[in-house]
Amino acid sequence: MKVTLLVFAILWSSTLGAQRILLLNGTAHIGNGNVLESAAIGVINDRIAFVKNSLTQSFPSKDWDTIINCNGQHFYPSFVSANNTLGLTEIDAVRATRDFNDVGDWNPHVRAQIAFNVESRVVETVRTNGVLLVQATPRGGWISGSSAVMKLSGWNWEDATVLADDGIHLNWPSDPKNYAAQKRAIYQFFELAKTYALDRDDQISDLRLEAMKACFVANKRVYIHAETIQQIIDIIDFAASFSLAYPVIVGGRDAHLVGAKLRDSKIPIMLSRVHSLPSREDDLTFLPYQVPGLLKAQGIPFCIQNDGDMQPMNTRNLPFQAGTTVAYGLTNEEALSSISLSVCHIMGIDKDYGTLEAGKKATFFVSKGPALDMRTNLLTTILVDGKLVSTTNFQEQLYLKYRQKYRAD
Amino acid sequence: MTARFLFLLTSLFSIELHAQFGPDNGLKASEPKFILLQNATIMVKPGQTLTNTDLLLHNGKIVQVGKNLKQDGAVALDYTNKVLVPSFIELYSSVGLDPIAFKNNGWRPQLESNKEGAFYWNEAVHPELNASSAFKFINNSTDQLQQSGFGFALTHYMDGVVRGSAAFVALGQTDIHKQLLLPKAAQFYSFAKGASKQSYPSSQMGSIALLRQALYDLDYYKKNQNNLAYSVSLAEWESICKLPTIFKTNDKWEILRAQKIANEFQTSFVYIGAGNEYAIVDELKKINAQLVLPLTFPEAYEVNDPYLAREIPLSELKHWELAPSNAMLLQKAGIPIAFTSFGLKNADQFWLGLRKAIARGLSATDAMAALTSVPADMLGIGAQVGTLEAGKYASFSVFSADPFAFEAQLLETWNLGVARYWKTHNNSNLSGTYSIQLPETTYELVVSGTPDKPQGKVVYKTNTDTLTTKATILLKEQDVAIQFMAIGTNQPKLIQLHAKVLKNGKVLEGDGTDAKGSWFHWSAIQHQATPSPAAVALQKDTTTYGQAWFPNMAFGTVAQANQQTVLFKNATVWTNEKEGIVKGADVLVVGGKIKDVSRQNISAPAGARIIDAAGLHLTSGIIDEHSHIAISKGVNEGGQAITAEVSIANVVNPDDIDIYRQLAGGVTAAQLLHGSANPIGGQSALIKLKWGATPEEMLIDNAPKFIKCALGENVKQANWGDFNTIRFPQTRMGVEQVFYDGFYRAKAYQKEWDDFRAAKTKMAPRVDLELEVLAEILRSERYITCHSYIQSEINMLMHVADSMGFRVNTFTHILEGYKVADKMNKHGVAGSTFSDWWAYKFEVNDAIPYNAALMTEQGVLVCINSDDAEMGRRLNQEAAKSIKYGGLTEEQAWKLVTLNPAKVLHLDDQMGSVKTGKAADLVLWTAHPLSVEARVSITMIDGVIYYEEAVQANKQQQMEQERVRILSLMLAAKDRGEIAVVPQKKVKHHYHCDTLGEDATQTENTH
Repeated sequence: MKVTLLVFAILWSSTLGAQRILLLNGTAHIGNGNVLESAAIGVINDRIAFVKNSLTQSFPSKDWDTIINCNGQHFYPSFVSANNTLGLTEIDAVRATRDFNDVGDWNPHVRAQIAFNVESRVVETVRTNGVLLVQATPRGGWISGSSAVMKLSGWNWEDATVLADDGIHLNWPSDPKNYAAQKRAIYQFFELAKTYALDRDDQISDLRLEAMKACFVANKRVYIHAETIQQIIDIIDFAASFSLAYPVIVGGRDAHLVGAKLRDSKIPIMLSRVHSLPSREDDLTFLPYQVPGLLKAQGIPFCIQNDGDMQPMNTRNLPFQAGTTVAYGLTNEEALSSISLSVCHIMGIDKDYGTLEAGKKATFFVSKGPALDMRTNLLTTILVDGKLVSTTNFQEQLYLKYRQKYRAD
Repeated sequence: MTARFLFLLTSLFSIELHAQFGPDNGLKASEPKFILLQNATIMVKPGQTLTNTDLLLHNGKIVQVGKNLKQDGAVALDYTNKVLVPSFIELYSSVGLDPIAFKNNGWRPQLESNKEGAFYWNEAVHPELNASSAFKFINNSTDQLQQSGFGFALTHYMDGVVRGSAAFVALGQTDIHKQLLLPKAAQFYSFAKGASKQSYPSSQMGSIALLRQALYDLDYYKKNQNNLAYSVSLAEWESICKLPTIFKTNDKWEILRAQKIANEFQTSFVYIGAGNEYAIVDELKKINAQLVLPLTFPEAYEVNDPYLAREIPLSELKHWELAPSNAMLLQKAGIPIAFTSFGLKNADQFWLGLRKAIARGLSATDAMAALTSVPADMLGIGAQVGTLEAGKYASFSVFSADPFAFEAQLLETWNLGVARYWKTHNNSNLSGTYSIQLPETTYELVVSGTPDKPQGKVVYKTNTDTLTTKATILLKEQDVAIQFMAIGTNQPKLIQLHAKVLKNGKVLEGDGTDAKGSWFHWSAIQHQATPSPAAVALQKDTTTYGQAWFPNMAFGTVAQANQQTVLFKNATVWTNEKEGIVKGADVLVVGGKIKDVSRQNISAPAGARIIDAAGLHLTSGIIDEHSHIAISKGVNEGGQAITAEVSIANVVNPDDIDIYRQLAGGVTAAQLLHGSANPIGGQSALIKLKWGATPEEMLIDNAPKFIKCALGENVKQANWGDFNTIRFPQTRMGVEQVFYDGFYRAKAYQKEWDDFRAAKTKMAPRVDLELEVLAEILRSERYITCHSYIQSEINMLMHVADSMGFRVNTFTHILEGYKVADKMNKHGVAGSTFSDWWAYKFEVNDAIPYNAALMTEQGVLVCINSDDAEMGRRLNQEAAKSIKYGGLTEEQAWKLVTLNPAKVLHLDDQMGSVKTGKAADLVLWTAHPLSVEARVSITMIDGVIYYEEAVQANKQQQMEQERVRILSLMLAAKDRGEIAVVPQKKVKHHYHCDTLGEDATQTENTH
């Protein structure tokens, strides 16, 4: 309780000046597979200054504005939710709140970043379970638009942005009947886009193709949404034929069946929701729980994402989806990586995010217990780029309000 | 069959069956008095074939069957080497009828009947439709049937639930006035609504309820006709309701569903099957089913692309394999079967299908019976049709050989004594070698193939070489046309020849043209004849086929699982009783019950399976209070605001893979709820997840009665698009009034019956299935589970219940329950909620994951349910969230998905805890059951182990072997020339609260 009060105090106190925050005596789950017991994390301004063993070092209290003693609690890097409409929609059934799917088949130019609602009430319920970064992603068409990596805390979309237009999202054809024709249409569009990108004329003459340019000449990712073997092996060819620097397969339910060919292609997989039913009647009952372990065993780079029914609100269950894989082939720390470092690595923000390491942005949290288990995911401190963020949300407030009502009655 | 082969001799052989009322134009038609077919092979009836026998016909009927018959004035015809088979009887057709026209209502829902007149209120019930009054002369539209050997058809309007009367007609080109042999021979029912645009029914359970209600209405009408307004529909129905009743089904389980109705109304049905009945032979035997089976078998798949092949579910592979054995398997079990040609594209398919069924082991005699005597008996007209015996209609087909034993040709069909000639038996046999003398050259023509389809090649010999080329040969009766490219010259030249076939093919003689177009005369002499192949005998299929699994799909078992005596040793037992969580305990299961739970060592009875549960957790099974899995054809009957008459228990579907998946998540029982499309929905099914059992076996014996009600956005159709603004209610205000109206009507209904039973009134009131159920609620004999979200509506329904004197048993979803927990306590209603769902629609804005904990804290009996096939298999995780959100203890959390739902469903006397005497519905977990890392090791229901993690690898291997085995059969079938189609990826859809219609969808779930 003391910690909570302290957090509130800080929240209201100041956002100005150099912040120096020291968190002591927690188990640090680094995010890269390592664990440091009795860790101390120093935060200066928006970055992690160090992650050290707190038992072998002393930390003079005068060096710090705030010291939080986390006795026996757990430090985690931010969970990161890729491929999500969170922030782009508020209530699934209310059309007025659905801002993720625009008209048109080829929409690389529509940008999720500027529609991101930092004050979404869904966002605060997601943050309190440890998801502090999201890749806001449009839907629809063959190319849905450009996604953006966003912090789940900020005054406006500008200061919530981690990486604008990090990638375009291509929906790979799945209908066997029209497959060849649809695939050809995608090749044609990419030929057009690549020609435009390599053209030395710098004049902007086509917004659509302009949005594709960075996919060929810079770091913009090409996220290709696909599930089946046929799609995946065709995407491997497609990526090679356009010499794409950063292709990513989003979905990839059958990726474990492609094996070496996929591993050699180095194309990473943003894997479909773990908590889902197998796509085929005959599939092993828990196949979606097993695929992360199968990919790990084959050395195929992957992360876990949460696309599916009611995805914005379900983002808060991302840690438990990762947790579920622990019973099906991953270790706890591998499961953590699959929703932290691996995601950041795939999206190209791992220099700043993804682990508890010195030099990275201080975007992490403290949980009373293991945060991949429902029972013990209980956040006591949240930092986003070095700023303390509320650990409560309107839902908890409603809970406390009505609890109070009954106590008063 | 082309028109060229049709020769109609109507004018010669027309025979009067009935007195002719109309005048002739010109002279009276000439006709023979008697026709005598001599020296035929006559398949008199199944099991009796007479050779060298004569058949004497007179006036469209058979006068006599016997040897050396004599009759003065008879036209005698030689039928040597021809086989006469009684005309087949088609029971499922609509020959001679135009489709019914339904008034189009535009794009808005049509709640009421658009049919003008004193007809039944629902357009899917039209017993007044009378096939005979609309029956039209059938011309070539019955060619397919006739070419398949059918001479009779039962024709009806193939549409709707109560379809009307069927006429028994003779096919062929006789006079329309003779064709209608029996104007009302049967009546038809089905569970398919058909072309009616009326909203109700929109589900199979709705069709079931509609049929039952209509039958009660019929009964009421019969008894009270003098006091009731005339109903065209009911009056006509009354006149036909004693006819044989034929029920069209689209799946094997529908037969069992229909049979329940037959039992309820003390009648019996003949079933038109769907073709997968082989999977439930024992059940069909139990009900003495009479079946009419289709000969439409699934096509093989192209399986050369392994990526595509893996998209074919085992269920389809297994059905493909066994569908042709359907008739044989049922016949073997002693179930009477007939065949229908319904659904076949042409006569060739019919013969292919029939011969496939015979190849699979159906005896020739049974196959013949299934097309003749059995359907005749099903209609009770065996005295007129079905065999070739004296006194019966002279309707038969003439074949080149016994069509049940040989690949025989259909030559003629005789309908009521009138012949139609399809094909001439080809007596000329061209097979052999001919010398063809052409003006310049002599060729050798070698003919092979069958007498009907000769194939040829031309051989030209020079001094040094032998050259051959293909010749096309067309044989039409005694005319042959031959065409080939002349060889042996520098330039190939087209030679076209025509000839008459003389001396049975020994000599060909005629004219031809050469490349220049000059005509010449030519001839050929057969100098070497190849004997004509005798009729090709049908081959028995000697392949070993598999057997149906329980259920007949992936993860099915070869035999139904059995009860075992099981001893769990050293488990951590979550008793859900005052003992709490007990470590190192033994649990003994005998006869499906928990025999003993003890921390002392229990010794294993003889034959017991001992399971070492050290380090493992044993709990009672998870009970899902709100589920929509395992349901056939519609989770919502959304056609009306109140549909209390429908019941999910009528449409439980054991063939749903989600049953197995939930077992794998530790679920042992579930309440299958109607959806939330209307304020008062349908009755629930309380089931145990017995994989491989029948629907009846899955239903929990003597379970308390439940019904689903609903409030809020779904019932007011808020998210259903702008065209759904017709049905009352469209607001929460209206929802309240629907409830009051329903319950006041039910009160009045109850009084009517009370008065009648107390002999205060004489006339028994009309049975109203909807009000019966509402009255049960008022009498507290049926519990309400009500879908609800916001506090205003929750409070409203409690007020309605209080004022009508009953209690709401459960609020489901109840996402604002935390706001009104005090009122819920006072009313005594339980809450069954989601752990953390929200943000999917406006009314869940204030939904909080602390709901379960806060309601629990306030003393409300709380469950966590799934309402979702995916979440249903990890309800342990969902329960665990209430520890995070609101700090319940682990035992409290665990009870949310076990003991509490048992209490809410009033089943806690038999399940919900690990206690001696309760059902052995147990789950063994690999870890703490609330842990994110827990997996199910064993799921047991009533002492039967339905899921075991340790055998999954074997199971997968068994499934793979089964796949490979059947895929090889498919490849072989394709090599034999059977059609194979490209597989498509199958996406399994699920029913949600708001799914409308009979098909599950993949739309967003708005619960």
